[in-house]
Amino acid sequence: MKTLRTTEPPFASRREMLRTSSLGLGWLAFSALAAKTGHAVASTAVSASGLTPKPTHFPARARHVIFLTMRGGPSHVDLLDYKPILEKNNGKTARTGRDAIGAKLLAPAHPFARYGQSGLRMTSLLPHIGEHADEICILNSMHTDVPNHSPAFVQMHTGSFQFVRPSLGAWTIYGLGSENEDLPGFVTLNPPAGDGGARNYGSAFLPSICQGTRLGGSQLPGLYAALLKRQQAPGPPMKNIANEHLNLAEQRRQLDLIRGLNQSRLRRDPHQPEVEGMIESFELAFRMQSEVPGVLELGDESKETLELYGIGNGNDIFARQCLLSRRLVEAGVRFIEIASPEGWDHHALLSQNIKKACESVDQPVGALLTDLKRRGLLKDTLVIWGGEFGRTPYAPGLDGRDHNHKGFSLWMAGGGVKGGMNYGATDEIGYEAVENPMHIHDWHATVLHLLGLDHKQLTYNYGGRNFRLTETSGEVAREILA
Amino acid sequence: MKPISKINLAGMLTSLVATSALAEDDTKFFEANIRPMLVEHCYRCHSVEEGKSKGGLRVDDREALLTGGDSGPAVVPGKPSESLLLTAIRHDDPDLEMPPRKPKLSDRVIADFATWIEEGAIDPRKAKPAGNGEGDWSDFESRKEFWSYRPPTTPTVPNSPEPDAWASSDIDRFVLAELKASGLAPSPDADAVTLLRRLSFDLTGLPPSPEMVAHFSLDRLEETVDALLDSDGFGVRWARHWLDVARFAESNGKEANVTYPHAWRYRDWVIDAFNEDLPYDRFLIEQLAGDLLPFDSEKERARQLIATGFLAFGPKGLTEGNQLQFAADVADEQIDAFSRSMLATSLACARCHDHKSEPVRMADYYALSGIFKSTETRFGTWVDSESSQGGKLVRLPDLPGQLIPNPSIPKTEVAKLEEKLAQLAADEANGKARGEKMLADGEDPQKHFNEMLREALRIIWTRGPIVGKLETVDAEGHALPLCMGVIEGEKMVDSPKYDRGEIGHPGEKVTRAVPAIFGLETEGPVPGEASGRLELARWLTDPENPLTARVMVNRVWSHLFGAGLVNTVDDFGHTGAAPSHPELLDYLALRFRENGWSVKTLVREMVLSRTYRQSSGWRADCFEKDPDNRLLWRIPRRRLDAEEIRDSMLAVSGELDPSPRAGSLVAELSSQSVALIAFNQSLPDDLDGSLHRSIYLPVLRDRLPDVLKLFDFAEPSLVTGSRDTTNVPPQALYLMNSDFIRARAEGLAKRLKSDADDREGQIDRAFELCFNRAPTVEEKALVAGFFETPIKGIAESEKDETLIAFCQALLASADFRIAD
Repeated sequence: MKTLRTTEPPFASRREMLRTSSLGLGWLAFSALAAKTGHAVASTAVSASGLTPKPTHFPARARHVIFLTMRGGPSHVDLLDYKPILEKNNGKTARTGRDAIGAKLLAPAHPFARYGQSGLRMTSLLPHIGEHADEICILNSMHTDVPNHSPAFVQMHTGSFQFVRPSLGAWTIYGLGSENEDLPGFVTLNPPAGDGGARNYGSAFLPSICQGTRLGGSQLPGLYAALLKRQQAPGPPMKNIANEHLNLAEQRRQLDLIRGLNQSRLRRDPHQPEVEGMIESFELAFRMQSEVPGVLELGDESKETLELYGIGNGNDIFARQCLLSRRLVEAGVRFIEIASPEGWDHHALLSQNIKKACESVDQPVGALLTDLKRRGLLKDTLVIWGGEFGRTPYAPGLDGRDHNHKGFSLWMAGGGVKGGMNYGATDEIGYEAVENPMHIHDWHATVLHLLGLDHKQLTYNYGGRNFRLTETSGEVAREILA
Repeated sequence: MKPISKINLAGMLTSLVATSALAEDDTKFFEANIRPMLVEHCYRCHSVEEGKSKGGLRVDDREALLTGGDSGPAVVPGKPSESLLLTAIRHDDPDLEMPPRKPKLSDRVIADFATWIEEGAIDPRKAKPAGNGEGDWSDFESRKEFWSYRPPTTPTVPNSPEPDAWASSDIDRFVLAELKASGLAPSPDADAVTLLRRLSFDLTGLPPSPEMVAHFSLDRLEETVDALLDSDGFGVRWARHWLDVARFAESNGKEANVTYPHAWRYRDWVIDAFNEDLPYDRFLIEQLAGDLLPFDSEKERARQLIATGFLAFGPKGLTEGNQLQFAADVADEQIDAFSRSMLATSLACARCHDHKSEPVRMADYYALSGIFKSTETRFGTWVDSESSQGGKLVRLPDLPGQLIPNPSIPKTEVAKLEEKLAQLAADEANGKARGEKMLADGEDPQKHFNEMLREALRIIWTRGPIVGKLETVDAEGHALPLCMGVIEGEKMVDSPKYDRGEIGHPGEKVTRAVPAIFGLETEGPVPGEASGRLELARWLTDPENPLTARVMVNRVWSHLFGAGLVNTVDDFGHTGAAPSHPELLDYLALRFRENGWSVKTLVREMVLSRTYRQSSGWRADCFEKDPDNRLLWRIPRRRLDAEEIRDSMLAVSGELDPSPRAGSLVAELSSQSVALIAFNQSLPDDLDGSLHRSIYLPVLRDRLPDVLKLFDFAEPSLVTGSRDTTNVPPQALYLMNSDFIRARAEGLAKRLKSDADDREGQIDRAFELCFNRAPTVEEKALVAGFFETPIKGIAESEKDETLIAFCQALLASADFRIAD
């Protein structure tokens, strides 16, 4: 039996509502009400089923999150953490880190550039993203617990690499609910099948309504994609979203029959909230059938917008996902995750592959920021760009870097984050976070804070213990709050 | 990826340390540079003040530093290179990095420590009186006094004042007494058909057939219950409840989700155990120590080996490269799974600290950990690009007629694979020789890093699957009968107590022992030559163990009465709920043991009670006083679970194949990777497509068949005694649009057409099959209205689309998936 924190009743509110109302606010009463005031009331009443927007712990700066995951460990010293000493001492023996001894420092493969009024330094390979430097806050002092892809990727999503825990998106929905009852609150587009797979958008012990809805098929793990020579193509947008046998009018008649049967059951005993829930659920599902394809189709986007993202240039899956993310934000989806098309695990051939990886994301992500900004969405949409760890400042071989979990960088923009700044720092060669170190827990605490949630109060009692995303630690990086 | 060779460079580092002149006043340097660092970074875990001496080490006086902890002196004055403190803060030793989980101290601070030690480690601090070290245990004994840790006592059955009263059994007398005490009365009996439907779903997970309804009457209640208990459906339904708490799955889940092709044998073992009414104590013993039990026949031996699969199919950190960590985590998962499922208590909470609320110390945990570390867990994965861990399997004895779904290979193939292995071994030796030669010639192997790494990975990843394949066949290539499970380890080991559960910080060893919580004779150290699993199993089923029987009767109760007497079915500890009817719980627990731990007898007694026969109707007066029905003034309605919904659809459409599905889909897959299943075109996208009972659907962690995932299947990585019941739009979309429901609707329509000639007959038959009743007048009108306008459908089709759409509506209705 799972209990909820007492201050926050939304999942129990239906029952509360029925308990306090002597007759039980049955569906019949509700439908009369809904008929009077239309769809708005329907959404409010439906919200009792668990996705209602909920009050935050304190005023929220962000209402939406777009999480752009860069799988594989993007090299912070090539991309976001400028260390001139690497150029100066290129080829000299590294002196920090026990694994490093003997290995040679490696200069960034491509030059850094200064962007924006703030002069924020990032690689010259990300000019489109760089245009938004003054909105971007680079977190230079990230660190995590393990230098292996799968556990680190899972920890980035759930805070834990050892145990099955709800993901950041699931905690967000648990804490905030959803803004659009016709769509899932947490959507993940073509998530990677490996590196923890569904764990990364799972709800674990949280109510299953909090789990991420996968749109599209799974991405093939990179290795297999190469072996099978198959593109990482998205599958069908959403399962069971259309009926192949009945047209919409016929299906409506069928639903009316189901509703009639269910109402007949309610008349035999009006006090059956679960039956009311089923009736509402069918109505919602019916609306979703119309709404979801509309959101997922890009047909009504202008040519200019499509070009902005780079859609229509052959391999444009990621560009489409970026544009879709904006559409989902507009539609009221709370948390959206997409994954980069190229991996960032550059053990070898770093100079050419990091260029390829940057090119695959630069224009679409830059366009996403532009698009969000011009529509006034960026101020309450937190955009996150980053991977599970970074890379070593030294080279084990000639043109590649090893995994490095002791210091790495990611960036965030919009959603109440201060722009044009660096937060925290690694040591002089970029090996280990030394100034304002930001563990995954600290980062999670900060993201929740931006959403108006106190990571210490956002708890769920499972099996007798109160669990939270940040386990027993987590400090909010207040300096980055706008 | 870690570098292939690790070179210890502690010595070299030492020379990097700058030697600066020490201040004139010797303690001044300590006070200015060392003490503040010790206080800030170390005292939390290593001081009298905090009552902690992790790893046996305190750093709050000089003497303590010189004596050191479990690993030896922390400081050797004048010898920085021999001072573990310095090793730890420099992160020279990966297993000893301080402060733990924090960034390394700055180079300046580290240099200060080196200087300080070099100059004699001058330290004016004197020893303070030691604390008790392990936290406050003053309330330990009182924790044991908690109700669930005390043995059940025989309660007095409440007297029924009126002789002809409602109560028909002792269960009812306990329930009635509580109801009356709150001024409530039980509900009237449910009508016969409702009761039969409830019984049929609860005992077999299927609706009653129209024939069963026709034959049923209340005076046939006992024989009907006995027939349901005897049917194979009973095992299917009740095994699934146990599989939920056993976190049964056919893949590893977590970050390396690889399949467990032999896990299904455990599933079948559980089904058989419930059908044969294997005594529950025996049921538990076999799961923990089946391999250690005597046997009369090879068949019994096989059965007992399969039962130990319980300990083998938990989720594992297969990407973990450190064997010590991996072994500790496997043992931890085993401790967690057995204690939560069988004792409704998590002993695993004591891995990092003494339990915060239960009478379980870290020492108890590590005593148990030794038991599982002395056990070899055979989970049968192999090393490849996803998994760093390979595990063997348990070879079953050969039995006549034995099912072996894993494929055989030709004998020539065996030879080929062995040849390949030999070649790989040769390649490996070559690679090693080459590396050594480079070192000998003074050449830097790092220059060839990429190439060498590629070669090493090629060897490792090619070898793994071959070793894995050869494990499953004999020398002739014939597939072997195999299962997941455990056997005694090669060496019996005691586990060190790890500070904060971190393997980098081993403390003193703890003798393998069964937890000393209840004061039972079966508690205490285990024989040196045994792992201790058998002793643990005996302790678990010791008649005086206060939890085992209570936990199980409560689980059974929760499945029949909608909620447990202890509402938190997986938590009987201080954080769990108190029992609503403590005497009844004890009464049932004692009866359970007296009746030879027979689950069927227990279920029979419960469903024949008057309490169980109550109607599910809502009553305002009762609802006001007891909205959660804790006092059982009615039987709560129950939405059917995922398996019941699916199986019922197959049953009413006449398509259900009630025979067991032989083996499992997972056993027939050639790939180890669950991620690849998504791209296997031969498998249905919803992982369904079978006509067998749902218990036989593949249970892949993080990749469940749609119907299970959508309708709140138990998360197979967690012990789940009570499933959620959600109501979300994707369920409605499944009922509206999925291929599965379309196929069942077509099947039902076909059946109706063969059973009845006219529309009215078809409609009546549909209601009879789906709801075990005739349509009401109102429903008749509604349905007639629906049939008035025929449905054409999108595709040109010969089919009776209107009838199919009608059938689907019935299958999707609330009546279909709610048991009253």
